[in-house]
Amino acid sequence: MAVALTMAAMKVAVLRNSMNSQKAGLVVAGAVLGLILAGGTIAVAFVGDPNAGSVTGWHTGDLLAAAYAVWMLGWIFGPVFIGGGDETLRPEYFTLVGLRPRRLAFGLLTASFIGVAPAVSLVALAALVVFGVRVGSAVPVLIALPAVLLSLVVFVLLSRVATAVMGLALRSRVGAIAAGLSNGVILAALGQGWVFFVAFQQVGGIPPTASAILRYLPSGWGLIAVEAAAEGALPRAAAALAAMCLLIVLLLGAWAALLTRRTSAARPSVRGRRPMTAASAQGAVVAKELRTWTRDLVRNHQLTFALAYAVFFTSCMLFMGMNGLLPYTGAVFILMAGAMSANLYGTDGTVLWLTLMTPGASEVRGRQWAWLLTVGPVGLALTVAGAAITGGPWPLPLALTAALLGGAAGIVPLISVYALVPGIDPHRRGGNPLRSSEDDGSLTGLAYAVIGLGGLTGVPAGLVASSYGWPGVAVGIATGALCVWGLGALAESRLGSHGPELLQTMRTGKRAQSASARWKKFDDLPKRDQIIATVGWSLGAIPLFPQGIVAGVQKANGTTEKSWFLALHVPDPWGWPVVVFMVLLGIAMYGGALWVSYRPRPKEEAVAAAAT
Amino acid sequence: MTAALEIAGLFKAFGEKVAVDHVDLTVPQGSFYGLVGQNGAGKTTTLAMAVGLLRPDSGGARIFGADVWSDPDTAKALVGVLPDGLAMPERLTGREVLTYLGLLRGLSKDVVAERAGELLEVLELDSAENTLVIEYSTGMRKKIGLATALLHAPRLLVLDEPFEAVDPVSATTIKGILRGFVAGGGSVVLSSHVMALVEQLCDHVGVIDEGRVAAAGTLEEVRGSGSLEDAFVELVGASGAGAKELTWLSR
Repeated sequence: MAVALTMAAMKVAVLRNSMNSQKAGLVVAGAVLGLILAGGTIAVAFVGDPNAGSVTGWHTGDLLAAAYAVWMLGWIFGPVFIGGGDETLRPEYFTLVGLRPRRLAFGLLTASFIGVAPAVSLVALAALVVFGVRVGSAVPVLIALPAVLLSLVVFVLLSRVATAVMGLALRSRVGAIAAGLSNGVILAALGQGWVFFVAFQQVGGIPPTASAILRYLPSGWGLIAVEAAAEGALPRAAAALAAMCLLIVLLLGAWAALLTRRTSAARPSVRGRRPMTAASAQGAVVAKELRTWTRDLVRNHQLTFALAYAVFFTSCMLFMGMNGLLPYTGAVFILMAGAMSANLYGTDGTVLWLTLMTPGASEVRGRQWAWLLTVGPVGLALTVAGAAITGGPWPLPLALTAALLGGAAGIVPLISVYALVPGIDPHRRGGNPLRSSEDDGSLTGLAYAVIGLGGLTGVPAGLVASSYGWPGVAVGIATGALCVWGLGALAESRLGSHGPELLQTMRTGKRAQSASARWKKFDDLPKRDQIIATVGWSLGAIPLFPQGIVAGVQKANGTTEKSWFLALHVPDPWGWPVVVFMVLLGIAMYGGALWVSYRPRPKEEAVAAAAT
Repeated sequence: MTAALEIAGLFKAFGEKVAVDHVDLTVPQGSFYGLVGQNGAGKTTTLAMAVGLLRPDSGGARIFGADVWSDPDTAKALVGVLPDGLAMPERLTGREVLTYLGLLRGLSKDVVAERAGELLEVLELDSAENTLVIEYSTGMRKKIGLATALLHAPRLLVLDEPFEAVDPVSATTIKGILRGFVAGGGSVVLSSHVMALVEQLCDHVGVIDEGRVAAAGTLEEVRGSGSLEDAFVELVGASGAGAKELTWLSR
């Protein structure tokens, strides 16, 4: 226990030391979002029919089981998506202390409970207690309390084991590809989850098979215990709790074993290598990039992930008997592959120094060609296959494929030099190959930016193709080529003019000082303003768009589906005031963030700021 | 004769902290120049600015008369650089790194192949033919870095801590290469905090302390009658004598 407490204290110390205002703002924003989701889960415990079985309709137990399954999947796959999970304390730190694997695992596990995510999950799990109160007497509530705690331990342990397995999988090509496939499918399933709900809506509630499967998942065991207690089947309740304890012991053992594998060094590869046949500077860059795409297992994982995501994303509509999305599999793949490689220069790290020492070697162009050669053929093949299976339409998917390929090949290098997220140099990454940067939030933002901006590059071709057919393909090829050429040239010139600053950013992990005097650099803002800015930028969209504008549109259309729109839940005279309030709140949050970042300052102060 | 490297008034501050404070240094052609200083004295920052890897707040650098910032193509073709601790194209083998870089430098394919083979052999990296750079040991990374610095036959080498983590046998090899390079008319600047090594190799020394040049000149001028180590300790004002003991370590 002493080890566990020491590690917990160590994590508190690390978190406190690394807590700057920007991080604090992100933590606050994350906590608010998490609490909204947790609140939603607790709300689920209040709706539906608490009594299981008998009649069709939405049962509270089924809904809770589904919600907890989503929470569990979030714990398992969240780290995969955002870059390696919580690595505040790394097992490598303790290799020389000589702890036995189980003690190490137990200590690290204890430290894992310190943070926002476990606290938020605990709130979400408290819905079990609410459910216990609804279904009956004191006994279900008494059973719910240990169930809540055990479920949290299971979530955290599953997350750690999943991350550790991923780390090991990424040491071999087969493992990297397998992990990419499964992660892609599951994330697509989470993203397309509404399909299942639409399907369930048609049959009037979650079908018994699905609700049984949801309960058999470890996330449902706590629920089983509470339901059993409500029925008076105490042995079954005890068995469910005991099963969770057993699972915890097994997971802890598995994690301990995985930790020892992680801290031992990977074997060097001794495979034969194909000789490099390039003969020009640009050819050399293409050859280097293509080799990196095939040899770097993290990039293998990214590509298979994008592939699996795209294929499942479009084909899961087949569950509803619709195949109309299949021709667009290629387009989805291209966007996802672009999002995955958004931090192109950041992931390579400080190797940029070589580019700086060899001016005029058309580095960006080489990378664009390599990206197109890697992603293009697969994307095109997916489009053609999808359109062939459904028998068309042909012009729109092909137009989008061409436009998005070029668009992404232009945007990826451009965004990676303009919004570089400093990463950890590849040779310093340690036992977790997924962790390419300390700044997960920015990486995720960059990925979304590529999806958003990349999607925009497909708009002209999409519009022409949907109105006039085949000419859209020509437009797609034209805008694609234009993006590759133009955005690439912009990236090239930025690299030329800001190369040393980008290298410095990567060396130190800090962004260079901004030249503008009116825009205050984030780090220069007072602490209070930093928190206002972070919370405003990251959460302002929620009241403004879904709760404000979308809710207003829904209300105007007289929609009966209330979903999570507050304005549709409140009694009638208050609906519109809530919409207006939400819109104003959103504008105020963005406005506040903008105001603290960019405020008119006296000229002397601006000059002084520029001089420092 | 133009200097191989001329650094004039380099200044760099990171926030409040001044890392390099108006440094002037001149590296004559054909000299073997040692830059010494404590950890954090500003050696790496100075060298990075001298070759164009870090933009100075003020001041500049010329390599054989070519300004690093206004005429980078000329300046950078004349210099080979070994930075400390930066990444390489990690997923390439040693030979591939050299091939890639040679082509980037505009060398022809045959010349690249010939030089790469020779460099790998001399630096004893040819036995790890199929090993990717990311799997190299620290010493091997230094050696492949040195090979990339030498590949395009520069006239000036700027090496940041070239001997750190290099085993004694490899160190002897590297010393031999560098001496040969200087004997053939090349110029070398290296940074180190190992005084004995600088004394053994260099004919010119610059001492950097807290971002300023504390002394610069030929080895004899800087060290005077004593050893370089004594001169250094005196210059940077650290109290070498009367070092504190750890009482609990001795029995």
